[in-house]
Order: sequence, then C-alpha cells, then structure tokens
Amino acid sequence: MRPALVRETREDRPAAVRLRNCSLSFGGVPVLKNVSLDVYRNEFVSILGPSGCGKSTLLRLMLGLVRPEGGGTIDFAGKSPRLGIVFQKPVLMPWLTALQNVELTLSLGENKRKWPKRARREKAEEALRLVGLQDFRRHYPHQLSGGMQQRVAIARALATDPEILLLDEPFSALDELNREKLNLELLRLWENPRTSLSTVVMVTHSIPESVLMSDRVLVMSPRPAEVTAVVPVPLKRPRETGMEKDPAFYHTVGELRKRVRQP
Amino acid sequence: MKSVKGWMRNFLYPTAFAAGFLVLWEAAVRFFHVPVYLLPAPSAVAAELDAQLWRHTLVTLTEASVGFVLANLLGFLAAVIFVHARPIERGAFPLAIALKTTPLVALAPLLVVWLGTGYASKVVASMLICFFPILVNSVRGLKAIEHEAWELFATYEGSKWDIFWKLRLPASLPYVMSALKISSSLAVVGAIVGEFVGANKGLGYVVLVSSYHLETPAMFSAILASAACGLSLFWLLSFLEKKLVFWQRVDEV
Repeated sequence: MRPALVRETREDRPAAVRLRNCSLSFGGVPVLKNVSLDVYRNEFVSILGPSGCGKSTLLRLMLGLVRPEGGGTIDFAGKSPRLGIVFQKPVLMPWLTALQNVELTLSLGENKRKWPKRARREKAEEALRLVGLQDFRRHYPHQLSGGMQQRVAIARALATDPEILLLDEPFSALDELNREKLNLELLRLWENPRTSLSTVVMVTHSIPESVLMSDRVLVMSPRPAEVTAVVPVPLKRPRETGMEKDPAFYHTVGELRKRVRQP
Repeated sequence: MKSVKGWMRNFLYPTAFAAGFLVLWEAAVRFFHVPVYLLPAPSAVAAELDAQLWRHTLVTLTEASVGFVLANLLGFLAAVIFVHARPIERGAFPLAIALKTTPLVALAPLLVVWLGTGYASKVVASMLICFFPILVNSVRGLKAIEHEAWELFATYEGSKWDIFWKLRLPASLPYVMSALKISSSLAVVGAIVGEFVGANKGLGYVVLVSSYHLETPAMFSAILASAACGLSLFWLLSFLEKKLVFWQRVDEV
C-alpha cells in the first residue's frame, strides 16, 4: 500500500520536463529506446551512462533539435519554458569578446524582440558578474583559459534567464581541479535566487560528479539507451566539498557503480 | 630586446642577403665579361628603372587590382549562393573546375578577340585566374561551422540571416583571407598574360617588346617591377589578414 502511495505523489508533482516513450535512431541505428522520464521543478538531475550511449541525444530532444519517432512525446510545464544549454566545448565565437559572446544569444530570435540593445548589454554584464568574469569582459576567447571559456559559456546560458538548464558534460574537457571548482560554482548559481534557474539536467559519465551535484541520478544503458535505474541521492543541500566522506555519498556511488553497465 | 631581434630577423637579414646577392651578381658579370643581352649587371638594370617603367607598372597594377577585386567579389557571392543552394553547387561546381583547369594562356587570345587590346581583356584574364581560389575557400569557410555552434543558434531561434551574418561570414574570414593572399600574386600573372597576347602598354608588353629587340636590361627591369607588384599586393593582404583574423595566431609560434 505504502509504496504505491509514494509513487502516486511523485506522479502528481509538477514535472518541468516529461518525456514519454521517446525512441530515436540515426541512419537505422537505434540510439534511444522507449525513454520515459520526468524531471521536476527545482530539481537537479544527472543522466549517467557510458560514453556514446545517447545521453546527449536526450538533451537534443529536449532542445527540440531532434524529434522522437513514433508517438514519443516531450512536454514542458508551462507553454515554452526558456532553456539554456552548455555544451562539452565552450562553443564561443573567437571573433567576439567574452561580453559579446554572452550578448550573442540575447540578440537572436525571441530574445532580440524582448530586450532592447541597452538591456541586452546589462544582462550580459550581470551574467559575467555571476560567473566572476566581469574583469575579463573585453577579452577574446583565445586570451582566456579553458575553465574561463567554459564559465563564459555558462554565463551565456544564464543570461537569457533560463528556467531549465541543460548541461552536456559541461566540464569533462577540464582538469580535475577546475572541474571540482566549477561544479560547486554551478551549484551556487543554481541556489542563487538572483538566477531564474529552477531545473538542471546534467549529462555526465562521472559517477562521483553525478552524486555530488544531483537530487536524482538516471542511469542509462549502453546503446540503444534506455533508463535502467533512477537513484535518489540522500545528501542534504547545500552540497559542499568534504561531502565525499559522508557514508551516504559512497553508498550512493557504490549503488550507481553496480547499475552502470559498460558497453 | 625581443623586438630588436624580431626586427633583425624580419628586415635586416633578408636585406643583407639580397644586398650580398646583388654584389656577387654585379661582380660576376664584370669579372666574366658576360654580354649584356644575356645577363645585364644590376647596375644596368637599375638604369632602366625610370618614369616610363613606372607608368607601365601602374597599368599592370591597375589591371591586376581591378581583376582581383571583381573576381573576389563575384567568387564570394557565388560561394554564398552555393552554400545556400545545394543543387546550384552540384551543377555549377564542375563548370568552375573546368574553367580552372583550362590554361589561361589558351584563353587569353580569345579574350583579346572578344574584348580588344585595352584594359578589359587583361582585367578579365586576371579575374579568371583569381576566381577559383576564392570560390573554393569561401565555400569551405562558409561551411566550417562547429556542429554545436549550429545547435546554439537553432536553440535560440537564430534566423538564416543571423546564421549568415553572425556565424558563417566571420567563420569564413580566415579561409577568405588565405584565398586573397594566394590570388594576389596570381592577379598580376593574369594581367601580364593578357598583355602578352595583345597590348600597347603594361609590364607584359615591355617584356615582350624588349625580348624582340634583345634589350635585356629593360626586360629585367620589367620582370623586377612585376615581381614587386605581386609582392606588394601580397604584403598588403598579409597585413590585412593579421588585422582582420586576429584570433588565429597559430602560425606565429
């Protein structure tokens, strides 16, 4: 009786993103198989799986860059929530300064109509301040370190006031020290009431990273990928360094390690 | 200290080498009594560098520059069309290759028949030789876009117009500039080939006429002037490239 009740309340929670029966194949090769998942409001969810299993494709489904096949649906709470995306690479325009790069997405499509030029500049400056790069706004990408470039990319994603932030292995190209630093920075930004961020979906192949960051971890199987497990992380917020020593931390890491199958 | 070293490397060394070469040349010609119609001494060539030669140089430089500018404008425009309309690219690209593989020297007489012995035939000859590099490089450059950059623009609903002005065009700049550098010296070749076939002025005309009369010093002076034309265009474009494509400094390491 009890588990059913718990499950029902879960279903009733407002999902920020809801995927149902999403399948996808590229050139006859099945990539996603019947993926259904919910990501709730004010939730940080990680999608964990082996490299090349189709995790990134899942994000591209949410962005609307690819469409699910045969009856799969993607629903958002609210009509069209603002989405932000950070890729594995910074994807900065080398001919634009840090500030101009952040302004770029503000001057495309709907955003361009919404904000006049002055407001765009102010929003971009505010976003750079949030990631601590206000003194580097006139620098070009080739004058910035890898970690700083990725922070500009985060600022660019935050500048458009996204409610849902999608992260595609955002720090996997960085060294371990930078990665840890930026992970915690990202959590602080998510908790920061000055950002509009409510939901974060992060694709990663690092188990400790997924545990440190998220409320729940979705485990995906090798290709064709499906969600094979959903593991809640029983760590309290705010997450901090040193939580790796918490028994709950390594218990969850162990649990996930068991469930992740390598291809 | 470093800048002094750089100045020596870039300026002093080449100048010293060139000067040494000229001195050896002069000495060898005098010592071995080489006849002037075979190999004139540098001093004999220098005597030919007069206002007359300068006027011919200006003619060739004008033909080459006009051809260069027109060909690059047209070539880039064609590349933009190719990139946005695959069927046109498929259909027209083989024609462009056919045009490229046809030797300009074989076409030049036809140009003179069609366009006369004035500026037009040389400008077109110059255009024909400059067209292909800019076309190929611009097509490559306009397509040289990271997949994720594309996705970024799609996510934020960037229009085709946005993608062109804010992504494709700046991304193509390094490719365009290297094409311009290549074709800057080719433009001079085109103009001179045009002048060979039919002209009454220009450096190609000077080379041809002086060869008929075995006026080798005059010929050398014209060759020198044509090299100087190509070189100065190349330098100008290298300078522009550094200013415009400031984010690509890999080759300076």
